[in-house]
Amino acid sequence: MKFVSKAQDPWHTCAGEDGPQPHPAAADHKLLTLEQWHAVRDTWPEGLATGVILPNDVDVLDLKADLPRLQLVVLQFPKWVDGRAYSQAHVLRSRLRYAGEVRAIGEVLVDMLPLLQRCGVDAVQMRGDQNQEAAERALGFFPGHYQADVNETRPLFARAGSGGAAGRKAEA
Amino acid sequence: MYAYTDFDRQFVHARAAQFRDQLERHLAGQLPDDDFRALRLQNGWYIQRHAPMLRIAVPYGVLDSRQLRQLARIAREHDRGYGHFTTRQNLQFNWIPLPQSADVMDLLADVDMHGIQTSGNCIRNITSDVTAGVAADELIDPRPYAEVLRQWSTLHPEFAFLPRKFKIAISGAKEDRAAIAWHDIGLQLRRNEAGEIGFQVFVGGGMGRTPIIGQEINAFVPWQHILLYLEAIVRTYNRFGRRDNMYKARIKILVKAEGQAYFDAVNAEYQAILADDAGSHEQIIPEAELARVAASFVEPQGVTPVPGVDIFEGAAPAYRRWLERNVHAHRVSGYRSVTLSLKRLGLPPGDITDAQMDAAAALSDQFSHGELRVSHDQNLLLPWVRESDLPALFAAAKEHGFATPNIGLLTDMIVCPGGDFCALANARSIPVAAEITERFQDLDELWDIGDIDLHISGCINSCGHHHSGHIGVLGVDKDGSEWYQITLGGSDGSTLSGAAVPGKVIGPSFAADEAADAVEAVIATYRREREAGERFLQTVRRIGLDAFKQATNGIRRTTAKPTTD
Repeated sequence: MKFVSKAQDPWHTCAGEDGPQPHPAAADHKLLTLEQWHAVRDTWPEGLATGVILPNDVDVLDLKADLPRLQLVVLQFPKWVDGRAYSQAHVLRSRLRYAGEVRAIGEVLVDMLPLLQRCGVDAVQMRGDQNQEAAERALGFFPGHYQADVNETRPLFARAGSGGAAGRKAEA
Repeated sequence: MYAYTDFDRQFVHARAAQFRDQLERHLAGQLPDDDFRALRLQNGWYIQRHAPMLRIAVPYGVLDSRQLRQLARIAREHDRGYGHFTTRQNLQFNWIPLPQSADVMDLLADVDMHGIQTSGNCIRNITSDVTAGVAADELIDPRPYAEVLRQWSTLHPEFAFLPRKFKIAISGAKEDRAAIAWHDIGLQLRRNEAGEIGFQVFVGGGMGRTPIIGQEINAFVPWQHILLYLEAIVRTYNRFGRRDNMYKARIKILVKAEGQAYFDAVNAEYQAILADDAGSHEQIIPEAELARVAASFVEPQGVTPVPGVDIFEGAAPAYRRWLERNVHAHRVSGYRSVTLSLKRLGLPPGDITDAQMDAAAALSDQFSHGELRVSHDQNLLLPWVRESDLPALFAAAKEHGFATPNIGLLTDMIVCPGGDFCALANARSIPVAAEITERFQDLDELWDIGDIDLHISGCINSCGHHHSGHIGVLGVDKDGSEWYQITLGGSDGSTLSGAAVPGKVIGPSFAADEAADAVEAVIATYRREREAGERFLQTVRRIGLDAFKQATNGIRRTTAKPTTD
C-alpha cells in the first residue's frame, strides 16, 4: 500500500477559477475529472501519464476503452461508510484487469485499509488526522481470509496446502 | 456442529486482536466516536441506554454446551447475570462496560465465537431452521451450505459498507421455519427435475417501516454457483441501493422500485462474473469443500435409529401437554427435538440467566450430545433427544424453568428488548409482554386459544417481527408518550400461517395502559366468533377486521373519543 501525501503528490487536478478547466492543456501527471478526460481524450497524444478521478456512482465498465491510457484511477469516499468505491475497485481489477494505480481519496480511514487493499486499491490518501503507523498495523492482523479477493483470486477452499478443502483438516 | 479448524480459530483471535487495537485507539482519543461506531457495530457493540450492548453471533442458531457455559461465565463476570436471545438466533448482553469489551471478545474467541457482522450495514449472521439437520420434513440439510455462506460473508472486503444491513436466511425443509420471505435474501434448498441440488432464491424481503415480501429472482441456482450468484445480487445492491435516506436504503426498496430491471441487472452481473472476472471459476464450490464442511454435520456419535415408541402412552396431563407443545418430530427414529421454553412468568421473553445457561448446557450434555439451537422465536432447542429420555428431560427442564408447555401458543411470544434497554425504541415491549403473560397463565385457556403468533416490537425497526405476527404490537412514540399500534393477520410464511404477509392495523394506537386490554379483547373476539376447529388466523381472514376493531374500541379509556351528547 502506497501512502500518498498531498504535498509530495506529482499528480495535480486542473482547476480554474470557476471549477475544473473545461479543456486542460496536455501534460504529464494531470488528474482529470471524467468530463475533462472526455473532452481531451481525442486530442491529447498517446503516452502521457494521465489520471482520472471518478465519482463513486460511475460504472467503471464505461472506462474500459480508456484504461490503457490511464496510469491512475482515483476512487472517492465522500463518507467512509459509503462503500460503492469498493465495488468499483473490484471491477477495475478483476473484470477489466486494470494494472495502473488505483487510489482511494476522501474520507479514507486507517481501518478501511485491509478492505481497500483486498479490493485492489494500492494507494491511499488518508484523511488528514489519520495515523500511518496504525494504518500499517491495520494491514497485518489477519493470517488470511475466507473469500477470494483481487490479489488472491482463490477462496480458502481452493488454496491447497493453505487451509483449503485439500489442505485443511478439522481438529478432532 | 461445524468443527473449527486452526485457520478458523486464528481468524477469530485475529478479529479480537484487531478490535482490541481499535478499542485502545478509541480509549486513547485517537479514534473519535463517529469513526469508532461503524467498527464496533461490525463486532456487535452498540451503545444503548445503560451501557454498550454486545450482540454475539450464533451462526444459524447452532451452539454447543462449552460455548453456552462460556456465555454464562461472561454473563456472570462481565454483565449482570443474564443475556437475551434474539429473533436472529443471536445472544445479547446489556451491561458490559466498553473498556472490558476486548477482553470479552478474547473469551468468545476461546470458544470459537465472535460478534462479527452482528450489526452494521453488512451481511449479518445467516439464520436458518432451528431444526436443521433433525427435522422430519427436511429435504436437504441447510447447515453445510449455511456454513459455507458464513465463511464467504465473513469480512467480505467489498460488502462491508452496503447501503444498509443485509440479512440472509436459508431453509432446507418443506416447512419454512426461517421466515425466508422476510429476508433481504431468502434461500430455499431444493432439487430440480434431474435430482440436482440448488437454491430457489428470493430477494427484497424485509420488515421495518415498509414491510415487503421477497420475490423469487431465480428458481434454481446450482449450489456450486451460489457464492457467485450472491455476489451478483449484493454488488448490484451496493452500486444502486439508495444512500440518501436510511429508511429507503434496504434492498427491498430497490427491488420494489426497479422490479424486473433489478433482476435483469443481477442476472447480467452473474453472467459477467462467470465470463470475465479473474478467478471466478475458483469460487464455484467444489464437492470436496462441501464434503469437508458437511463432515462436521453428521449425526453425533451414538445416535442410531431405534424403534419409535408411543410417547403419549400413559402420560399424565402435565407431561402430555409438554409432549404436545415442546417436543417435535425427528428424522431419526426413536429421537425427538425438544424446545426449552424461555417464555415464562417473571422473565422477559428470550431472557436467560447465567445459572440457566449452565443448566441448559448440562441438559444438552446429558440429553442431546452437547448440542443446542437458538430458535428465531427466542427459545432454546435440544436437537438429539432419545424418546426414552423424555420423562427425565421433562423433570430436569421443569426444575430449571424451561418446561412451560407453551410453544406456539399465545405466551410463546416474540418480543424485542424495547425501550427498557434499546436506545432506538419508541416504547417498552417487556411490560406489555409481562402483562399479557400474567393474564394468560391458565393452560386450559391457552390451549383453547390454540396456535397463535403474538409479536411485539418496541419500534418500527421491527426486531420483534410485529409485521409477521398473527397479532402484532408495535410501540410508537407520540409527544413523548408510549403508544401501541395493533395489527392482525400477519404471517411468517409457515404452513400454519399461510403465505408471508404483513398484518393490517386495526385502528388508532392504544395508550400504554390499554395495550394488554386490546390484545385480550382481540382474543375474546376470536373465541366468540370462531367456528369449530378454526384457528385464530383463519377467523381473522374469514370475518375481517371489523369485529376486532369494535371490540378493541370498546376497551379504550385514555384514547376513547369523547361522547357528544
